[in-house]
Amino acid sequence: MTLQTRDRRLGWGLVAPALVWTALFFVLPFLGMVALSFARMEERAVVPAFDPGNYTRILTDPVMLQALLNSLQITLIVTVISVLLAYPLAAIIAFRIPRQWQRLALLLAVLPFWTSYVVRSYSWLLVLGQNGVLNKTLGLVGLGPLEIAASRAATVTGFVHFFVMLLTLTIYANLIQLSPNYARAAADLGANRWQVFAHVILPLTLPGVVTGAFLTFVLGIGDYITPQILGGGNELTLPQLIMLQLGRSGNFPLASALSVVLMAVVTLAYFACAKWLRLDRV
Amino acid sequence: MKALSWLYLALAYAFILLPVGVLVVFSFQDGRLPVPPFQGATLKWYGQVLADRDLTAALLNSAMVAVVSSAVALVLGFLAAHGLARVRLPGSVLMRGVLIAPMTVSYLIIALGLLNQFNQMGLRPSLWATGVGHVVINLPLCFAILYAAMGDHQKSAERAARDLGASEWRVLTLVSAPMLAAPMAAAFFLSVTFSWDEFIIAFLLTRFDVTLPVEIWSLLKSGLSPKTNAVGSLVFLVSVTAVLALELFVFRGKK
Amino acid sequence: MARFASVSVLALLTASPALSQELNALVWCDHTDPALVQPFEEKHGIKVNLKEYEGTAAGLAILEQSQPGDWDVLVIDAVDVGRAVEGGHLAEIAPDQLATADFFPELVMAENNMVGGKTYAVTEKFGYNTIAYDKTKVDPADMADMATLTSGKYDGRIAIYDYYLPVLGLVALGQGVATKDITADTLATLKDPLFKLKAASKQVSDVVSAQTALATGEVDIMIGGGEWVTAVLAADNPNLDWTIPKQGGLRWAQSIGVVAGSTQPDMALEFVKYITSPEGQARLATSSCYWGMPANAKAGDVLTPEQKAILRWDEQAEFLKRAQLYPIPDAALDTAMQDMWTEMLQQ
Repeated sequence: MTLQTRDRRLGWGLVAPALVWTALFFVLPFLGMVALSFARMEERAVVPAFDPGNYTRILTDPVMLQALLNSLQITLIVTVISVLLAYPLAAIIAFRIPRQWQRLALLLAVLPFWTSYVVRSYSWLLVLGQNGVLNKTLGLVGLGPLEIAASRAATVTGFVHFFVMLLTLTIYANLIQLSPNYARAAADLGANRWQVFAHVILPLTLPGVVTGAFLTFVLGIGDYITPQILGGGNELTLPQLIMLQLGRSGNFPLASALSVVLMAVVTLAYFACAKWLRLDRV
Repeated sequence: MKALSWLYLALAYAFILLPVGVLVVFSFQDGRLPVPPFQGATLKWYGQVLADRDLTAALLNSAMVAVVSSAVALVLGFLAAHGLARVRLPGSVLMRGVLIAPMTVSYLIIALGLLNQFNQMGLRPSLWATGVGHVVINLPLCFAILYAAMGDHQKSAERAARDLGASEWRVLTLVSAPMLAAPMAAAFFLSVTFSWDEFIIAFLLTRFDVTLPVEIWSLLKSGLSPKTNAVGSLVFLVSVTAVLALELFVFRGKK
Repeated sequence: MARFASVSVLALLTASPALSQELNALVWCDHTDPALVQPFEEKHGIKVNLKEYEGTAAGLAILEQSQPGDWDVLVIDAVDVGRAVEGGHLAEIAPDQLATADFFPELVMAENNMVGGKTYAVTEKFGYNTIAYDKTKVDPADMADMATLTSGKYDGRIAIYDYYLPVLGLVALGQGVATKDITADTLATLKDPLFKLKAASKQVSDVVSAQTALATGEVDIMIGGGEWVTAVLAADNPNLDWTIPKQGGLRWAQSIGVVAGSTQPDMALEFVKYITSPEGQARLATSSCYWGMPANAKAGDVLTPEQKAILRWDEQAEFLKRAQLYPIPDAALDTAMQDMWTEMLQQ
C-alpha cells in the first residue's frame, strides 16, 4: 500500500461520518420532500402520485403568489435596513471605542440575543402595542400614537432587531481585521474620509457584509415565529402558509411543495451573492 | 462627527435593549396585563415559573439536547475538517459544498423534511429526533469554523508527531485537537447557543417531552400571563451569566 | 465515529413507545392546565402526557401518522366525532359508563357522539362563538346587531378569532344562512361579507393574542369571541362582556373519547370519566387556557357562585335556544372554507 492510498483511505474515513450524516438527515429528507410535493390529497388523505398540481397551484393562486411576494419584500426590506443600521454601529465600536472596551460594547450590543427567541418577539408586541410602552412614552411628550402593532411594520421591527445584532457581530469582525495601514495609505495619497471608506474600507469588508446579509436573508425568509406573533394575521408569509397547510389542513404535499419553492428562492439568492460569499469562512 | 457617533451609539443601544428592558420590568407586574401602567412589583410570576414542572423539565431537555447534539456536531465537524484539510481527496470541493449546504437552508425545510422522513420510517417525534435535526444545522457551522482554523503550523506539528511514530488516533487526540482548543470551544458554544434557542425543528419533531422554546410557545398559546415574561427574564439571566463566566474564565487568557 | 451515529439511530429506532404508566392524550389547550390533570395523576399514580393541536384536520393528521397504541385519549370538536370515527380513530364506549343523565339535555348531543347506534365520545365542555367586547369602549346596544360591525363605526377596533369554522358560521348567520345550510354555493355568497369584516378589523388572532388584544385595549371587539375570551380575564379587566346578536351565535362543544388501538382502554375510559365527573368538569370549565360551560350540570355543585356568575350559568337556557352548532363540512367544502379563510388572511 502506497503512502498516498493509505492517506486517502484515512481521509475518507475521517470525512465519511459527517458526509453520511448529512446525506441521511439532510439530502435524503429533502429528496423525500420533493417526492411528497408531487403527491395528491384525496378525501383528506395523501395519495402518492406524480402530479405537478401543487406547483401549478402555487404559481397561479394569487394567495400563494402574494405570500411569496410578501416574504420576499419583507426579507429584502429587513436585510437592507439591518445592514444600513448595523454597519455604522459596528464601525463606531471598532474605530471610536477604545480597544479594551470594545468587547464589552459588543457584548452589550448582542445582549438580547440571549433571551429566548420566542420571548423576544413577544416582548416587541408589548413594546409596540396601542397601549404599549412606546406609545405611552410618546404620549407623555404629546406625540403618537403610532399604529405599528399587528402590521408589517411590527414584523420588520422584530426582524431588524435580531439581525442588527447578528450583522453588527459579523461586520465588526471584518472591520477589526483591516489593517489601519490601508486607510492611512489612501489618506496619504490624498483621499478624503468618504473616499477612504468608499474605495478602501467598504470593498475590503464587502464579503463579510454580503455573507451576513445572505444569512439574514436565509434566516428571515424561513422564519415563522416573528410574522406569526407580530404580524397580527394581516398578511401571510411563506412559512406561515406552510404551517397553515400543516397545522390546519394536514396537507403535507402542498406544504412540501411550498417548502421546495422556498428552497428555490434561497438557492437563487445564493447564486446572486455567490461571488462574494465566504460561507466556509464564517 | 464625534458627537453624532455617540448619539448613534446611544440610539442603537436603546433600540437593542428596549424589548429586554420591557420584558424584565413587566415580569414583576402585579396583575396579568403586561402593559403600562405598572401596577407594582411582585415576585409571584417567578414563583409560578419555578414551581412549573413542565417548564423545568423542558429546561433540562433543552440543555441535554443542546449539549449532546453540539458534541456530535463538533466531533463530526472536526473529523471532516481534519480529513479535508490534511488529505487531498478527489471531489473535495464538492464535499465541502455538501457539508456547508445545510447552512443555506431554512430550518423550517430541514424540520419538515425530517418530520416526513421519520414518519415514513415509523419513528415517533422525540427529543432524539430533535437532536438529529440540531446536528444537521450545527455540523456546517462546526465544520466551517474548524476547517478555517486548520493552519500550516498545525500540519507540521502533526507530521512531526507521525514521524515520531504516533498512531493516527494519538495524533488526532493529542496533537490536532489540543492545538484547536480555542476554535473548538467557540464552535461548541455557538452550537449550544443555536440549539438552545431553536424553535421550529423542536416544535415539529417533539411530542410530549419538549424543549424550552417549544414549552414557552405553548405557554404563550395557553393563556395571557406574565409568566412568559418571567421565563424570558430567567432564561436571559442564566444565559448572560454563562456568557460572562465564559468570557471571564475561559476566553480571557486567550488574547 | 460511524458507531456514534449508528448508536443514536439505533436508540431512535428502539425508543420505547409510551411506558405503561403513562396515558397519552391529544387535546385542546384547555386540558394542559396542571390543576385539571394532577388530581387524576395522583389518584391513579399515572403520568398524563398531553399534546395540544389546533383544528380537527391537524389532529386527525397526527393520528394518521401515529402507530396503534400511541394515543389513548382524544379531545375533538363534537361536530367532528363522526369524522374521527370514519377514520377509525375512536373506540366504542359502553354508554352505561357515562354520566350523560346528569348532562344539560342539549349537550348530550347523541347525533354527534354516536355513529350507527354506537357511542364513541362524550361531550365535555361548551360555550359560544359570538361577539365579545369592552363595554366601556363600545355601545353595547350596537353589539346586538352584526351589521353594525361593518358599518364603519368600529373600523380598526375589531379582532377576528383565527378559526375558520365558527367565524364563517357567524358570517353565514349574519347573511341569514343557517350553519347546517352552508354549501359550496352558499359559501360563495359569504366571501364578500367575510372580506368586509376583515377590512373593518385590525387583526386576526389565535386564542391568547385575541385575549391579550381585547384585555389591553388593542381592540374593543372580538368576532368569534365569547365567555372563553372574557371569563378568564374577568379579574383583570371586568369591562369585558359578550352577547349573542339578534342574528344568532354559534355554540362550540368539545367531546372526549378513547382512541382506537389504545393499549390501556380501561385507564383511558377512567380519564374520560374523570373529565366528565362533576369535579373534573368544574376544573375543566375554569382551566387556564379558556373557560367554558361544563356539559355535566352537576358541576354546578362544585363551582363557586362567582365562577358560575362569570360563566353566566343562569342564562344558559336562553343562550342555548339562540345558538347553532358549528358547520360540518365534507372534505371538499372543508378545503373550500379553508382556502377562503387563507385568502381572507392575505387581504
